[in-house]
Amino acid sequence: MSSSSVFVPAARPARREIVPGVRLLLAACVLCGITPWVVSAQNQQSSSSASQAGATEVIIKNFRFQPAQVTVHPGETIEFKNEDIFAHTATADDGSFDSGLIQPGSSWKLTVAKTGTIAYHCTPHPNMKATLVATSAAAQQPAAGSAAGPSPGFNPPSSPQEFHPILVNFTAALLPLAFLSDLLGLWWKRASLHNAAAWMVLYAAIITPFTAAAGWWWKSKSAGALPASVIVVHQWLGTSLAVIFILLAIWRWRLQKRNAAPSVVYLVITAIVVLALIYQGSLGGLMVFGR
Amino acid sequence: MNARKFLAAGTIAVLSLFGTAAWAQQSEGGAKPSDPQIVGIVSAANQIDIDTAKLALKKTKNDQVKQYAQQMVDDHTKLQKSVDDLAKKLNVKPEPSDTSKSLHTAAATEMKKLRGLKGKAFDKAYIDREVDFHQQVIDAASKVLIPNAQNAELKSALEGAAPMLQGHLERAKQIQSSMGISSAAGTHKHHKKA
Repeated sequence: MSSSSVFVPAARPARREIVPGVRLLLAACVLCGITPWVVSAQNQQSSSSASQAGATEVIIKNFRFQPAQVTVHPGETIEFKNEDIFAHTATADDGSFDSGLIQPGSSWKLTVAKTGTIAYHCTPHPNMKATLVATSAAAQQPAAGSAAGPSPGFNPPSSPQEFHPILVNFTAALLPLAFLSDLLGLWWKRASLHNAAAWMVLYAAIITPFTAAAGWWWKSKSAGALPASVIVVHQWLGTSLAVIFILLAIWRWRLQKRNAAPSVVYLVITAIVVLALIYQGSLGGLMVFGR
Repeated sequence: MNARKFLAAGTIAVLSLFGTAAWAQQSEGGAKPSDPQIVGIVSAANQIDIDTAKLALKKTKNDQVKQYAQQMVDDHTKLQKSVDDLAKKLNVKPEPSDTSKSLHTAAATEMKKLRGLKGKAFDKAYIDREVDFHQQVIDAASKVLIPNAQNAELKSALEGAAPMLQGHLERAKQIQSSMGISSAAGTHKHHKKA
């Protein structure tokens, strides 16, 4: 990318250019490393048949979860198989997981992340109740009770519950990074950082409508399982953010075309949007993980 | 096995929707229903619950109510299918009875009332209705339909449907209480059910 911006002092030694670039890269790595832990759902869903040896199964049949209490270790996967003729859900009482409707003949997989006892039920039939107990095994990783266990392998996304948490990573990373990149660009007077910011804002604007759409899709599939007061704020703030991102991208690219540095007004507004985004993420986390 | 349970569920559901008056009649010494009449009653109750839910899907803007209504359509449609399959297998032809007729009469009145309502008033009336109806159907199934079913397969199907009806009842009660909280400024009579 050419650094033709007028506010960039001409030709600097390449070596000095590297330093902020490396720092930015490091910052990006840290953010990218953190974000999935914060945002990604514990849910690993797949309609394929269970292939893991010893995978734990819960059979849903005749309006019962069988067995009524299942015990696993963190990192292990439970497959909920619906062998009933009616659709059911497996929904944690504390909101920490929710399968959405599992159609007859389908199944849903949950990878358990933490130790603890979680009561769960079926949303449309709340008299269907069962318990999931996750106990730490003797040979578990030192950080038992935090983060996730072994990598669950490759499960292509197959439900709205997965697309939204995946897409949201891009949304959550791109705008804060663009903002950071513009700030660093001003600090170090580097056109390339401003260029990067403009592109990241554009990417954010392109991908965020998909994130929002996936969120609406999830909501439409999960039949009242999501807390009503939170979802209302989350859905409209998210939709507004998708629109705001597009406006920001247009604004940012007008500045970019004129080779102008981002104005203070732009940066302040972007900062506000970033804060709104963080709040939005916290609402999403609340619904996925509970309090 | 499943078919029986579903049949039972359907019966109960249908009864609960329209059934207060009908059931009262039934349990106060009306003629005991024959198996063909029991199937007729279950089918009537299923159809009534589905029709009411379809009306709710058209009218409501409340997500919880919409999802509940969709669930009623899905569950009762499947239940009715299992009822039909079982009836066919047992060679039972559904017959009308005083109970099924009064279910339809009560349903028509209820539909008329619901059609005249909108917004939160509709949501409330619909969910209140579902709570009452499912409660009545559960009572009717346990006191009238199951004891009178002659065919063992029909009887066990009726018994198997009970958990579904119980589930629908509890879900409706949850929605009822959440609406009671969120519409505190709103409607008149939500404490009635509490």
